[in-house]
Amino acid sequence: METVHQLIELFPYAIAGSILAGIICSFLGIFIVSQRVVFLGAVLTQVAIAGVAFSFLHVIHIETFIASLLGTTIKEDSLLHNFEPAFYSLLFALSTVIVFSQTHRQKTLTQDGILGIIFVVAIAVRIMFIQKSPIADVSEVESILKGDILFISQTEFFTLAAILVFTVSIFALFQKQLKFVTFDAESASAHGINSKMWLLIFYLVVGTGISLTTRFVGDVFAFAYLIIPASIGILVSKKVKNVFLISVLVGAIVPPISIYIAFKFDFSSGPTAVVTAFVLFLVVYLGKKLKG
Amino acid sequence: MNKEIIKFTDASIGYGKTAILSGINLSIIENDFIGIVGPNGAGKTTLLKTLLGNIKLISGKISRESLRFGYVPQRDTVQPLLPYTVFDVVMMGRYSLSGPFKGINAEDKRIVEESLSYIGMSDLKDKNYNSLSGGQRQRTLIARALAVGPSVLILDEPTNGMDTPSHYSLLDLISRLHDEKNLTIFLVSHLLTDVANIVKKVILLDQNYFQFGPIEEILSEENLKKTYSTDFHVSQSDGEYIITPKHMKKL
Repeated sequence: METVHQLIELFPYAIAGSILAGIICSFLGIFIVSQRVVFLGAVLTQVAIAGVAFSFLHVIHIETFIASLLGTTIKEDSLLHNFEPAFYSLLFALSTVIVFSQTHRQKTLTQDGILGIIFVVAIAVRIMFIQKSPIADVSEVESILKGDILFISQTEFFTLAAILVFTVSIFALFQKQLKFVTFDAESASAHGINSKMWLLIFYLVVGTGISLTTRFVGDVFAFAYLIIPASIGILVSKKVKNVFLISVLVGAIVPPISIYIAFKFDFSSGPTAVVTAFVLFLVVYLGKKLKG
Repeated sequence: MNKEIIKFTDASIGYGKTAILSGINLSIIENDFIGIVGPNGAGKTTLLKTLLGNIKLISGKISRESLRFGYVPQRDTVQPLLPYTVFDVVMMGRYSLSGPFKGINAEDKRIVEESLSYIGMSDLKDKNYNSLSGGQRQRTLIARALAVGPSVLILDEPTNGMDTPSHYSLLDLISRLHDEKNLTIFLVSHLLTDVANIVKKVILLDQNYFQFGPIEEILSEENLKKTYSTDFHVSQSDGEYIITPKHMKKL
């Protein structure tokens, strides 16, 4: 209990933020897994990081630009000062989903092939951006890029809360259209629903959620929580509603438990969260197999 | 006399600027029952998408009454990982009829129940769509198309990969839909004998080859040879068509 008290005292936003990040990823993950575009999740996490790395180059200083528009100056640690990495992360991710949403039109390359190209290019340009970054220590840049659950700040916590509200609101408001186009886009089009537009909206929401969450909690955590909770939900549920319920519960409960384990046994929090979720997945999978 | 509901005039269809079929002149009247046949890559799907308004004409003109389409895709293209029930899937047919912010109402539920009852799937409405047999899945997709309240029903290879009893039971259902609900039906199939015995008119097409008219005129051995580059034997037994490639007849 003492460790728990210590954790709550030292990292209140980390614990609460990890819950929010877990919920966002597991919720979006249901659509990613059921749409069979798991690789898109991996690509978006890498693209988001490449966007953050690009922001360190300060090629276009978005913060100064916005500050000048608002007639203000940038203060250290202000919300505006943290804006640039999130902005580029989002810009890179949204550009990727717009490209991806158009790939079904062409017939010479597979979607997997296109995602594979974006994936390796994102990793390559990240390395190049880091090499040209004014911050001297590469490992320091890498750690900033990768995010860390334990260092979720108050601002990041509220940003995650806003992302969660935004994501759930879009899916709640447009559930009929999004449900139909993600189930069977061809028939949705035939029945008068603009599938291209709704799929683009779907991918833009997914891109926004994944890129910003990756910025705060890291690519390993984000990708794992896109896939593992949704897979557990699909494995054990016989109703769509329960898939959502179980996935989101796993996404909400496992991260704080992982932080406890990481703190207690001196592990990194991100990888511990992934391994803990995987152990749970394994238990559920084997349990289901044994049950027949 | 039934009224004309769809008319293609000198139409060219295809993707982008590449025409697959040109010079299409086609007049569809209410309660027509039309088969669409042709080899793979002939442009059957392109024709359907153009008909539905999902692809624009490259040239020519298409005029349509304000029609509501019910579409039944090939069932292999619908393989959800999420455990949607039969009821959930059929309800999707109602989604296109109300705006983004409106919920599902009692009328929607009633129509879904009615569609399920008509195709004999009421007992399975709470079953997981993934757990159904091929024939049951296809019936579910037909019920979804009926839930739209369509005036035109389009079925894309509905009997593909089905066992014989399910195959004929489904063809029987499609005939019933035409007769009892007065639907205009487009049936895409590669099974020439089925098409000849169920529909009234046929569209026979290949790239830049297009024929449309009554079965007895269009499904001739000569036309089939032009389309498939294979000799066919067309005969009738007990009033039913039998269409087979000539090499099969030798066997």
